[in-house]
Order: sequence, then structure tokens, then C-alpha cells
Amino acid sequence: MLSFALRRTLQALGVLLAVSAAAFALFYAAPADPARAACGPRCDSGQIAAVRQSMGLDQPLLAQYTDYLVGVVAGRDVNDVDGSVIHCAAPCLGYSYRLHQPVTEALTEHLPVTLSLTAGALAVLLVLGLGTGFVSALRHGRRTDRLLSGFTLVGASVQIYFLGYLAQWALVYSTGLLPLPSYTPPGEDPAAWAGGMLLPWLVLGFVNSAVFARLSRSQLLETMNEEYVRTARGKGLGRLRAHLKYTSRGAAGPLVQLLGLEAGVLLGGAVITETVFGLNGVGRFAAQAVSGQDLPAVVGAVLLAACFVVLFVALADLAVAWLDPRIRLD
Amino acid sequence: MKSPESQGGRPVNAEPVLSVRDLTVEFADPRGGAPVTAVRGLSFDLAAGEVLGLVGESGSGKSTVGLALLGLHDPRTTAVTGSIRLDGTELVGAGESVLRGVRGGRAALVFQDALTSLSPFHGVGAQLAEMYRLHHPEAGRAEARRRAAAMLDRVGIPAARLRDYPHQFSGGMRQRVMIAMALMNDPKLLVADEPTTALDARVQRQVLDLLGELQREHGTAVLLVSHDLGVVAGTTDRTLVLRDGAEVESAPTGELLAAPRRPYTRALVGAALRLDSVPGSALPTVDDPSPTRKFAPRPTAAGRPGHPERLGRTGRTGRTGRTGRTGRWLVEVEELSVHFPGRRRLPSLRAEPVRAVEGVSLRIAPGETLGLVGESGSGKSTTSRVLAGLQRPTGGRVRYDGQDATRPDRELRRWLSREIQLVFQDPYASLNPRRTVAQTLDTPLRLHTPLGPAQRRERAAELLEQVGLPAGHLDRYPHEFSGGQRQRIGIARALAPEPRLIIADEPVSALDVSVQAQVLNLLMELRERLGVAFLFVSHDLAVVRHFCDRVAVMHRGRLVESTDRERLFEAPHTEYTRELLAAAH
Repeated sequence: MLSFALRRTLQALGVLLAVSAAAFALFYAAPADPARAACGPRCDSGQIAAVRQSMGLDQPLLAQYTDYLVGVVAGRDVNDVDGSVIHCAAPCLGYSYRLHQPVTEALTEHLPVTLSLTAGALAVLLVLGLGTGFVSALRHGRRTDRLLSGFTLVGASVQIYFLGYLAQWALVYSTGLLPLPSYTPPGEDPAAWAGGMLLPWLVLGFVNSAVFARLSRSQLLETMNEEYVRTARGKGLGRLRAHLKYTSRGAAGPLVQLLGLEAGVLLGGAVITETVFGLNGVGRFAAQAVSGQDLPAVVGAVLLAACFVVLFVALADLAVAWLDPRIRLD
Repeated sequence: MKSPESQGGRPVNAEPVLSVRDLTVEFADPRGGAPVTAVRGLSFDLAAGEVLGLVGESGSGKSTVGLALLGLHDPRTTAVTGSIRLDGTELVGAGESVLRGVRGGRAALVFQDALTSLSPFHGVGAQLAEMYRLHHPEAGRAEARRRAAAMLDRVGIPAARLRDYPHQFSGGMRQRVMIAMALMNDPKLLVADEPTTALDARVQRQVLDLLGELQREHGTAVLLVSHDLGVVAGTTDRTLVLRDGAEVESAPTGELLAAPRRPYTRALVGAALRLDSVPGSALPTVDDPSPTRKFAPRPTAAGRPGHPERLGRTGRTGRTGRTGRTGRWLVEVEELSVHFPGRRRLPSLRAEPVRAVEGVSLRIAPGETLGLVGESGSGKSTTSRVLAGLQRPTGGRVRYDGQDATRPDRELRRWLSREIQLVFQDPYASLNPRRTVAQTLDTPLRLHTPLGPAQRRERAAELLEQVGLPAGHLDRYPHEFSGGQRQRIGIARALAPEPRLIIADEPVSALDVSVQAQVLNLLMELRERLGVAFLFVSHDLAVVRHFCDRVAVMHRGRLVESTDRERLFEAPHTEYTRELLAAAH
């Protein structure tokens, strides 16, 4: 366990280092000039040079990168475009010259929206995906199975921006069944929070549940024929109880792995969903940063997303080992 | 585990615990064809305390009977008709709630492989306790755990291991857990489906003895399903022989084995190898109950020829390059050791390696058959893998035909991969299901002979006929053959490059008794005709005694004894070999 945690942490650090380096390098390979973007359209070449210097963009790339890494660990002082010094506390993910704000602070503002969206969407995904998978497996080859398979196929093939607008039109504008999607902090008004997020949860959860339903169906079908399930039936357990207690346990491994990955990816920001429903989460923040050539914000968002994926994949591995005593974590 | 009162025939006025009449089981064809009948009109009675052996080969329907007795078939795909009365309750057509009470309560099951039959996710104590609580809903958790501990103790497992998981036990211990679980609720009927088939001979004996003890203590009626007449002989009162789902004959076990009435039973009894059959003789099979073919006597240690005549191979495939500089020995293994890296506890600590093979020395003369015997985990398969070039040794020397066979040399490996061929245990897993027989046989010919496509096909047909299959079957796929036929294809594939050594790892242990006899006959015939040397890896002493010239015994990675067949079986040197032999009887 100790060696597992140690190895995983080192591995995570390696991944994050590689991701940040790649994001850094990629951005510099792009033709656009971040100093010009930060300075604004009316700057002359002298002003741009001054901005470049205050942003530290005249330094060698490697030096900029090490400065950045030091900031992540210990925090650092950064210069704004106008030359004023701002302290950026650890973990400092740089300073956004477009927003005139440390990136960590900006991300923290957007994170609650993404957290809410992800949590609800995962709940919908679990219920829909596992539910249809379990029922399909139990009714394998019969009409219910075919019907549910068709249902999940719709989910897998439809695009979020299409389904999102369709659902919004049908449930919000035409009938008024649901309030317009919006984010209210759950601390302020839980009912408004749930009501405003319900439609995004359903759409994002449904679209992502298709893979989950298919995987759980095939996993369960495979595990149903395991001999320990037959033994459980031979002990006098009913069919459903045997499947719930033994088959599900045997089928869980890959599903937990997929769930962990899914959670990590969604927490990194659901760009399309957030855009469709006008939610100001991490995904939208990242999209705007990219189009605004806001280098520090882009790298910060990318690192945050990578962090979530690494963390949740490790958590999934822990959960799988807890579910199956034959797996040892070292 | 014969019950004392039934020694002189059946108990007189005992009402049978189980009464089966005209039992028929049909499986629906998933593609809508005619249903497959697995059991046809089977009738038998089983009295309290009686042990009935249900014997048949694979596909005979014996396991289907066992499952039907507990109503475990899926009613949507399986039609069960006739009558099964257990302790006065009719089970055919009974509702789920009745059946749930019977399963695990009045009737319990023990399956072949305890590793896959016990849940890997739950501790053994919890699995036993669940069995109790399902049928005693009023009992609390503490009571169930107490009973589970007591039952484990009864089968010889300390209660301290209650929280351990099945994978933490040895094979024999796991089967004890399985038996303990089956007897938790003191059932009237115990169905044991091949309960010891997956175990080594010594452990098999211990588990059967335990089963017998418990059966006598509890007065349980036992249906012992097995393909192994040896197991049935020592443990059952009566035996029923099943073929194609129907009864062939049924009689008290001693009588049936001594004087089988039906030809099929006679063939089955004759085909089963015992430790008193004549080594190297042609074995009777179901098709040929009294074989007339005689094999030439095997060379003895003193008069072993240096290089037997090899028929039909001179120049025909144009062997080039290294030709045999055969001396006295074809294979010489000296002080071979194979270690596997052990599991590390912490990153800093050095891991203790697993010593799979340690200081093993073996020799095989040209044309000789060496049996390599040992229980599972003894290192016999690892040793054979080194010879086959599939495993790099940690230490020691391996010489083939006078040359260092472990040298990393492409030319040498290529030559060895032609000289040494393999036959595997599982004829289902060792053939590629997507390749026809012709394609399977073509690969070694293409790699190791200069023959053109047409010649290769001709040669493949020849090989197929050599192993007793019609050449017309060349374009069939493996699934179109039975297990025995597939093993013949595997042998044909091994013969294709005309090897001088064939490593056969348990080649007949996955086969039915009668098929086993056929394949052994084939191997003996090929050995005589082609003069191939064999390394024959097996846990089955009866087979080894019949087929091998010399025998090497391995135990925990070391060579315990290596000697001529007669000497090993008549005067074993070591205590371990004596134990092995005792368990096989």
C-alpha cells in the first residue's frame, strides 16, 4: 500500500510535468504573439517590447518554464502588463494578462460549477448506465434487451449540442417544465441549484451513459456464467440476489476503472455542455483562454484537468483492489 | 466411504432419500434447431448413507443429472421431465421457493474446481455463514459464524483462517472448504461433481477420505459424479454407467468393475490404466476392446541402442545444416536452476527469488522416453519449458545433441525449434480456432522444410493419416473435431518438422479414459515407427508407468529420484516417491 501510494505519486508528478512542458512548448510553437494579445490592438512595437519584458516573455523558454514550476511549488511575484507587481500564492499557475488575475484564483472561481455539473452527471450516468446494463443482461436476447440496446445506441450516437438544444427547447422554452439552466451556489439556494443544473445533468449523464451501459451489460453477461455464481444459486440464493451479490461484484472492476477515468475527464471541464447551457465552468474558461491566447490560463486549465484524471484513475485502482482481494497493490 | 450396512447389498426397508424416475433433460437449440437431449429416461434410487457413482465420459450427461437434481437448469432453455423425489418432495416442476429451500438445505453441491466455485471476493467464513443463514433466517450473524468456524475445524482448517480468501488456500484446502460449505446444513443428499479431479493424487486421497468420513458421520446420501473409475472404485457402493445420457448398466461397484456385463463398460474398465497393467502394451478402447497389435519391447537401460533406425526421413525433406552428431545422449541437463523474481514488500528491500527449479540433472538418449513426474508446482513444466527454449535458465547447462542449447544464437535456435517439438495438455486451447487443419500443419512445414505449397499439402495429408485421421479432413476447423481428434492434430503438428525430441506436457490428462487409451496407443505406435525421443511430463503415475522407459520424480523444484521404470515402481528409493505411489493405488 505504501509503495503503491509512493509509486503513484511519483507517476502523477511525472505525468503533470510532461503535460505542463508539452502545453508550454505547444503554445510557443503557435504563430500568435502573447505579448501583442495581452497589450491590445493599439500597441506600437515599443509598447509590445515593454509588455514582453514585464511578462518575462523575453527570457529563454527554459527559464520561463522553471520560473513557472517554482511558482507552482512556492508561489512567486509576477508583473502585470502595466508593470505592477502582484504576489501569486502557491500553487501559482501563472498570471492571466487577459483577466489581470492569477490563474489559480480564476480556476477556483469556475471550479464549483464544474464540480456540480460532474457530480450530478456522474450520478445520472451511474443510474442510467448500470440500470440499463443490468436489466439488459438479465433479459439477455429478449425484447427488453434489444429495446435498451437501441436506447443506449441513441445516446452514443447523438451529439450533446444537438440533444442539449433539443431538450432545452422541449423542456424549457416550449413547456416550461424546467427552469433555464443556470448555476446557483448550493449553499445559497439548494433547490435553485438542483433545478438549474437538472437539465445539464440529464443530458451529459445520458450521452455518457451509453458506453457504460454497453460495458456493464457485457461484463455482467460474462460474469453470470462464473462457477461461483452457480455455487451461490446452489446455496439457495434467488437468481436476482445471486446476481446482485456475486455477479455484480465480479463485473465491477472494469466499470470502476471507466468511472474513474470518466470522472477525471469531466472534472477537467465539459466544454460543449457548459457552452450549450451557458454555464461558466472550467471548460468554458479554458475555451475562452485558448481563443484569447491566454497562455498561463490555458496551461493552468490543462494541468488541472490532468491532475483530476491522474487522481481519479488512482482512486479507481484503489477501489478495484478493495473490491477484489486477489489484487495486491504493489 | 462405503457405508457398513450396505456392504452385503442394499439396506432392506429403507425408504430411498432420492428417487429418480424417467428423468429426461433437453436443451433448446439457441438457433432454433431441434432440441438436444442430454439425459434420456434415467431412473435410480439412492438410500440414506449410500454412495452412488455416476460414471461417464465427457458429453455423457453426468453433470447435467447433478444440476437437475437441484433444479439448477434455466427453465427458459431447458426442459426437465420425469420425476425427482427428494425426501418426499417432487422437484420436477416445483416452484422457485420450494427449490430455493432444497438447494443448500436438503441437497448440496460440491463442484470440481473450488478455486472458481468459491467466490473470490468473500472470506471463506462469510461464505459458510451465508449458507447457514440462508436456511436458518432466525439465526444471528454470531451463531452463523460460530457454526462456520466449527465446520471448518471439522474439515481440518483452523478457525483462525475464517477471514482468509479462497486464493490464500491450497487446492486441497479449498476443496475442504467447499465440502464444509456443502455440509453446513446437514443435507440429506450431497451431489459431488468430480470433487477431486483437479487435485494431485495424494491430496485427492485425503479429500476422498474426508468426504467418506463426513458422509458416514452425517448419514448423507452421496451422488459421486466422475469420469475416473479409480475414484469410483474406492469410494462408492454402487455405480451407474452413463453413455449419451442413458444408463448402460448399474450394479454394486465391486461387481461392476470385476465383471462388467456390457461391452461399453468392459471397454471403459479395460481402458482405465491401473498400476498393474502390462507396460507398453496396446490398450483396449471402446472401438477395439481386445487389441491384437503388439509393440516391440522397449530397449532396456543396458541394451539401449545409440541411434534407432528412423524410418521414412532420409533426405525426403532435405534436412540441411547441422546434422546430428549424436553421441550417447540426445539431451543432457546438468544442475539446471530456474529462479523467478519474488514479490517485493517495500521498494528498498531485496526480493527473495522463487526457486522453481534447483539443481536438476537429466539425460535422454535418442529414441528414449523419459517420464517427468511430480505434483503441481514441482517444477516439471518449467524444466520442460527450458528444454523447449521457452524459458531462460538461471543456471546450469543444457546440451542438445552435444551442443549448448542455451546459447543465444539465431541459427541454433532455428535448428532447435525444428529438432524439438511440443504437444500440449489442452487440445481445445492449443489449436488456433480460426485456422484449418491444413493451415495449422502448413506453418511448421513452411518454416522448416524446403517443400513447395503443393508438396506441403501432400505432406500435411500424410501426417494426418499418420495420426489416424482421414486426409479429407484437412480443410476443417478445430471445432469440428472431438477432444481426442484435436489432440491427434496437435501430435501431427509436432511431427511435421520431423523432430528427434517431442516434449509432451500432460498430453492425455485432459482426455477421457477411452480417448486417453487411443492417444497413448497412437503415441506408442509413432514412437516405434519413428524412433522419436519423448520427454513425457505427467502427474499420472499409471500413464507414466505404461508409456515411459525411465522416470524422473520432481518435488519442490528438485529431482528426488531418477531411475528405470521397473526399479521406480517396484523399489522406490525415497519416501516421497513411496507416498506418490501409495496415493496412486
